Amino acid sequence: MNIPYYPGCTLNTNAKDLQQCAEYSAQALGFSMVELTDWNCCGASLPLTDNSSMGYAGPANVLINAKEEGTKEGNEDKLTTLCAVCYNVLKRTNYAFNNDNNKLDTVNSLLETDYKGDTNVLHYLEVLRDEIGYDKVKEKVTTQLKGLKVAPYYGCFLLRPHNEVGLDDPYSPTIFEGLLETLGCEVVDFSHKGECCGSYSAMTNPENVANCSFGVVESAVAAGADIIATTCPLCQFNLDGNQVKQKSHFGDLDEMPIIYFTQLLSIALGKDINSISFDSNSISPLPLLKEKGFV
Amino acid sequence: MSRTGVFVCHCGTNISATVDVVKVAEEMKNQPGVVYTEDYKFMCSAPGQGKLKEIIEENKLDSVVIAACSPHMHEKTFRNASEAAGLNAFKVEMANIREQCSWVHPDKAEGTVKSLDLTKKMIEKVRNNEELEKITMPVTKRALIVGGGIAGIQAALDIAASGTEVVIVEKSSSLGGHMIQLSETFPTLDCSQCIMTPKMVEASLNPNIKIYTYAEVEALDGFVGNFRLRIRKKAKSVIEDECTGCGICIEKCPKKVPNPFEMGLGMTKSISVPFPQAVPNVPVIDRDSCIYYKTGKCRVCEKVCGPKCIDFEQKDEIIYEDVGAIVVATGYDTMPLDKFGEYGYGKFKDVIDGLTFERMASAAGYTAGEIQRPSDGKVPETVVFIQCVGSRDESKGVSYCSKICCMYSAKHTMLYRHKVHHGKAHVFYMDIRAGGKNYEEFVRRAIEEDGAQYHRGRVSRVYEREGKLIVKGADTISGKPLTIEADMVVLATAMTARKGADKLAQTLGISYDKYQFYSESHPKLRPVETNTAGIFLAGACQGPKDVPESVAQGSAAASKVLGLLSQETLQREPITAEVNEANCIACFDCLNICPYGAITSKEIKDRDGNLIKEVAEVNPGVCMGCGLCNAACRSKTIELRGFLDSQIFAEINSLAA
Amino acid sequence: MSEESKKTEKEWKPRIIAYVCNWCTYGGADLAGTSRKTYDASVRVIKLPCTGRIDPLFLIKAFERGADSILVSGCHPGDCHYNTGNFHARRRWTAFRDLLEFSGIDMRRLHFSWISAAEAVKWVDVVNDVSEKTKELGPYDEFQRINERIEEYDGIFAQQG
Repeated sequence: MNIPYYPGCTLNTNAKDLQQCAEYSAQALGFSMVELTDWNCCGASLPLTDNSSMGYAGPANVLINAKEEGTKEGNEDKLTTLCAVCYNVLKRTNYAFNNDNNKLDTVNSLLETDYKGDTNVLHYLEVLRDEIGYDKVKEKVTTQLKGLKVAPYYGCFLLRPHNEVGLDDPYSPTIFEGLLETLGCEVVDFSHKGECCGSYSAMTNPENVANCSFGVVESAVAAGADIIATTCPLCQFNLDGNQVKQKSHFGDLDEMPIIYFTQLLSIALGKDINSISFDSNSISPLPLLKEKGFV
Repeated sequence: MSRTGVFVCHCGTNISATVDVVKVAEEMKNQPGVVYTEDYKFMCSAPGQGKLKEIIEENKLDSVVIAACSPHMHEKTFRNASEAAGLNAFKVEMANIREQCSWVHPDKAEGTVKSLDLTKKMIEKVRNNEELEKITMPVTKRALIVGGGIAGIQAALDIAASGTEVVIVEKSSSLGGHMIQLSETFPTLDCSQCIMTPKMVEASLNPNIKIYTYAEVEALDGFVGNFRLRIRKKAKSVIEDECTGCGICIEKCPKKVPNPFEMGLGMTKSISVPFPQAVPNVPVIDRDSCIYYKTGKCRVCEKVCGPKCIDFEQKDEIIYEDVGAIVVATGYDTMPLDKFGEYGYGKFKDVIDGLTFERMASAAGYTAGEIQRPSDGKVPETVVFIQCVGSRDESKGVSYCSKICCMYSAKHTMLYRHKVHHGKAHVFYMDIRAGGKNYEEFVRRAIEEDGAQYHRGRVSRVYEREGKLIVKGADTISGKPLTIEADMVVLATAMTARKGADKLAQTLGISYDKYQFYSESHPKLRPVETNTAGIFLAGACQGPKDVPESVAQGSAAASKVLGLLSQETLQREPITAEVNEANCIACFDCLNICPYGAITSKEIKDRDGNLIKEVAEVNPGVCMGCGLCNAACRSKTIELRGFLDSQIFAEINSLAA
Repeated sequence: MSEESKKTEKEWKPRIIAYVCNWCTYGGADLAGTSRKTYDASVRVIKLPCTGRIDPLFLIKAFERGADSILVSGCHPGDCHYNTGNFHARRRWTAFRDLLEFSGIDMRRLHFSWISAAEAVKWVDVVNDVSEKTKELGPYDEFQRINERIEEYDGIFAQQG
């Protein structure tokens, strides 16, 4: 099964750790991520501003390219992405196109071809749950991650605004938990699973980011987690990096390793841990993983 | 040739600001059949109406067009005035050049052109109007009230005081509505049961008031002055007339179920009354939970019942009531909280809603008035009250304000602080709406005397940490985020229409808005009337309101009912259908299409009694004037008086090029 | 309509006739006025007790007499003041639509809506929408041309004796 894939700006660069393991896992599960031949930045924050038709043009272009790719022979007529922000932007663009005729016309007037709002966008987690099925995933698991207490961190982009993005219930989601259980992890419910890590105010207000990230990490520690699994490159960066860079905010709190969910997935599917890069991690998860016996 | 008079109203400047009324009056002089035109400042005023009468008499007018406001506003006014001058009321038409012209088209040129067209159109129509005589109908001097809460009870007492018979149909097994669930009422902190139960008892003892509980209105037939309602009295499994209210059956019943009256937190039995002061004090068996209905066993209540009035075989009863007027007082529900996961309602036991807090604070409630955390029964040291949960929220809730939450949240802080002297009460609010008499003073008392801490800001999250509820909010006055560790959180949920309000409205034929609150005839001037003659509104079913307003509306609706029923006969508008028997081919399409069954077949016989033919016949007393028959008739022999084809074609033709 | 309201092609203003029911749509239109909303001035309302009163001939007559578009509006299904009036209107419309189309009427000029007495905003939106669409379609002069043709033929037949 070939699924068209949109990496977005970070997945081939700063977040290549997230992507590498996703690709490995895809192969192991019997599908491949076919990168779009032509794509552009999703705009990230642009559609979040008020009424910016320009901000929808960028993602609309991506969705048009995806539709083209999806209708090629041998490809699934879908688009998947790993980046939470890209997912959020693409879904919100689809929502705007399907619910606001004026926006549709205005944005289409900026594009070469008209977008009809019909590209089916799936997050990688949705591909695993709905296209592959967690049962199939379970069959392919070679290393049960037994004894590993994982706090599934959604961040905010995947869940909100609920009616436009709608990955799952914003306050009691289950899609991420379902995957982790399939891998044999012990899922830890913690109060900040959907709270913001501080996001891109890392540039303008690092204090704020430190506070937010602390809130997330602290609640995972309080809930008894060993490790936090993330779905977003920015969350990974904030939660991991701030524990070292802004140590004053974290006080006596034990260091909590932060890991991409695809890295955990690939370990469970048999990837050699030594081939997984943890270079970007300020706090390496390796000691913990060794301790639990997955190395 | 007709002698039509045209009056164009300035309506002060309401019309004349955006329509050249002088020009319209002038131009109409040129219309065929028009013998008099005038523009005037306020046609509906006493001198205006006087002038109308004078001109009709002086100029021997046989028809009148008044270009002014909407006919919904003043058609009656001008028809009555014209009648007083000797002109048949139905030779008077209004051209709506205000609501549908001057008020909505700011360009004077456009507005004037449209007014010319509309006035000309009505002139052409009225030339084809027939003189019609009002139909008189008898009036059934009884009233029916749907809903036995405070508004309904008040209306019933006021109507019964005149000697008129009233029927109350209440859906639950007792009178009382939501008010009986409250602990104390603002702004006096009167005990709610103490002020309400006397009214409930009074209603039950009044010989003019008949009460059906555990009953619902299923169907409505008829029209103002002559309604017939079909009511379903659901089976209580208890013979009501013989029950003494001793309560032994309840005591001995082995099946415990969560008590909906106590908001699911207290328990009751399968056979129960909702609360001790229930009126009538007759228990009802909940067949969904009762052991006998599920398994065929038990029957303990039957064994211990002294008067032997348990009847497991009892069936629903259908009752018909004939009344002349109806008051709808069905009350409200509170918004379901499943969309508000951010507050943790349903996830954290100690996050409750306002009504649950009322039950907790009530001396007759499941905690006997003690404030206790539902999770562990401990007394909460810090309670956070969150206002506007669902109200004023276009994204997840309703756009309107629920009116009572600011007041009852203040009340809750006071009740809490009176019972837990060292407790801390925090209120998160957007605004404080305390507009009634003594309301503002009440809120100040909560803050200044009872030490409630008010924070202007919203709450983003409530989550649990080590047995405490962490409330993350904002204080917009200091500009800082504010986090409070609470033991209990009370949500002031939005007031909504009752579930099923739309179905009831459709049964009764009344309108409702997008929130399913029932529509009043005019938001300012006719708050308790509906657009359906003979049906009135009272209480929260019309929109969020507090007890004093509900009581006032109950009395207001009663006065409308008594005004209606005090007439010996009702005059009905003669906008009814009539059959031209010579042309009728008796296909009876009209009979089949009539929503009211107003059409029957009639036999036409010769002098010897032989049948010549059948024709359709309309009962003008039942006909409601919709015109469906007219549109369906193949041979165009049945016509709706007042909206004849000739009148409508006249309007269409006048709009021609 | 008066002469001013339909002039030359350049100054053409659409002429739209709306058949509305007294209880719902007329009330909604009044509410739009009470709320001082503004909207396009092309519509002329003919008030009927119910949309069920509408004879399909009314629609044809309106077009024949120069209407550029027609709007029919009544209570929402289930909310008809006369219980079933709007259902019959809807049914009649469904049965009649194909016939109208077959006889060559431009169906883009015929609009149906359900507007309740509380929906002032919807009345405004529908009127503006219909006016906009009518402006795009231009004047509906098919009937005018047919009338001219008829006069022409009358003339020819008269000549032929």
